[in-house]
Amino acid sequence: MPISSNAQNEAKSIELLRQILLKEDRSEVEQLKAILNDPDQLSERISPIVEKHLEDMKKNFPIEYNATIENIITRKLENSQEELLNTISPVMGQMIRKYIQHQFQLLKESLDQQLDATLNQGVIGKVRNLFGGGKSKVTSEEFIANLDRPIIEEIYVIEHNSGILLGSASRKETINIDVIAGMLTAIKSFVEDAFKRGKQDLEMIQYGTFSILLENFHSYYIAAAVSGSMSMRERVELEKDLAKFAENELKVNLQQNDSSANLVIKRKLEEHFFEPQKEALLQGKLTD
Amino acid sequence: MISKKVILTGSFGVGKTSLFNKFLYNRFNDKYMTTIGVKVDKKVVNVDGSELSMLLWDIAGEVSQDKVPHSYFLGASGIIYVFDLTRPSTFMNMASDIEYLKNLLPGVTIKIVGNKIDLVTPERMAKLETELPLPYDILTSAKEGDQVEDLFYALGKDLITNATTNV
Repeated sequence: MPISSNAQNEAKSIELLRQILLKEDRSEVEQLKAILNDPDQLSERISPIVEKHLEDMKKNFPIEYNATIENIITRKLENSQEELLNTISPVMGQMIRKYIQHQFQLLKESLDQQLDATLNQGVIGKVRNLFGGGKSKVTSEEFIANLDRPIIEEIYVIEHNSGILLGSASRKETINIDVIAGMLTAIKSFVEDAFKRGKQDLEMIQYGTFSILLENFHSYYIAAAVSGSMSMRERVELEKDLAKFAENELKVNLQQNDSSANLVIKRKLEEHFFEPQKEALLQGKLTD
Repeated sequence: MISKKVILTGSFGVGKTSLFNKFLYNRFNDKYMTTIGVKVDKKVVNVDGSELSMLLWDIAGEVSQDKVPHSYFLGASGIIYVFDLTRPSTFMNMASDIEYLKNLLPGVTIKIVGNKIDLVTPERMAKLETELPLPYDILTSAKEGDQVEDLFYALGKDLITNATTNV
C-alpha cells in the first residue's frame, strides 16, 4: 500500500473518531443554539434566574448600596439646593394650603356644631327661638367675621413732607409716636418718589392682617393703623369717615407749633374713632 | 413746643450716622454701617429756656438729585451738611450741593460740618482751610464727641430764632 493511501485512511479514521467522540457535544451545542435563537425558550430559561437575582437584590440592596446612594443623594442635594427649593416650594405651599383649608373646614364644622348646640338648640336657642322666631341662626361665618372685625388701633395726623406729628391717638401706650410719624412719611415719600406716578399718593401699607390706611389732604395726611381683616367695603367706609372727620374737626390751624393744638386733635381723634373711650369719657370713667 | 425737621446729609462714610447716634444716644459705633435709605429719630433740645423738638432725618449717601428722593428734603427747616476732613472727595461737590439745597428749600438753615477732626493734624487743617470750596460752620469728632452737642445747639438756636422772627 502506498504511503499516501495510508495517510488518507488515517485522516478518515480520526474524523470518524472525532464524530463519535463529539457527537453528544455537538448535539448539545445545537440545542443551545436553538434555545438562544428562540426568544420564548430563552425567556423560559433565563427568567427564573433574573427573577431570583432581582429578589436577592431587593433583599440585599439596602445593605449593599445604601451608603453609596445616600452619598450620591447628599452630594446632589448640596449641589442643587436652590433648584430643589424652587421646585419643592410651590408644591409644599399647595400642600400646606390644602392642609390649612382642610383643618379650617374641620374647625368650621366643629364650630357650627358647637354654635348650633349652644345658641340654636340649647336653653339659649330655645329663648332665642321664643323671642326671635328662630330666624337668626348663628353660623360660624358670622361668628368668625365678628372675631376678626377691623379695629383702629392707632391714628395719626401728620404734616406732609416734614413728617411732623400734628396729633395722634392710640388704644394703647405707644412710644416714639414722632418717630413713627417721621418714618411713615419717609416711606410714603420714598414710594411716591421711586415710582414717579405723578400726583398719586401712597394710600395703604399692609402686612398680614394689619393695615395702615393713608388718607391725604392738602397740608397733612391721616394714617390709621387697623388690625383685623378689612374688606373693600369697610375700607371705603373708613376713608369716608376719615374725610368727614378732617372736614368737620381739623379746621384748626394745623401748621402752628403749639402743644395745645396737638392735645385738641388727640381728644377729637379719641372721641371720633375710639368708641369705648368715648363711652368711658361720657360715663366719667376717664379723666382727660 | 416747636417741632422742626432737620436733615443730615453728605457723602457716604462721612459720619452722619455717627453724629446722629452720638447726639441722640451719646454713643459712637466704631463699626462703619452704611445707612439704608433714611432713619428718623427725635430729640428735644433746650435752647435758652425754649424747647425745640428736632425730627432728625439721617439720609444715606449723596446729596445729588438722582440718588436720593428729593422729597426726603422737603419740609426741612434745617440741614446739616457733613463732609469728611480726611477725604477730599466728600467736599469736592460741596458748592453745587449747597446750591441745590438752597434752591430746593429757600430760607433753610444750613450748617456745614467738617467731621473726623480727631484724625487731622493742625498742619493739615491749615492746608484744608485753603482747599475747601466753602467755609465750614463747625468741626466735629463724632468718635470723641467733640462739638457734637454744640452743633445741634447752634442749629436749634437758629431754628428758634427763625421761627420766632417768622411768626
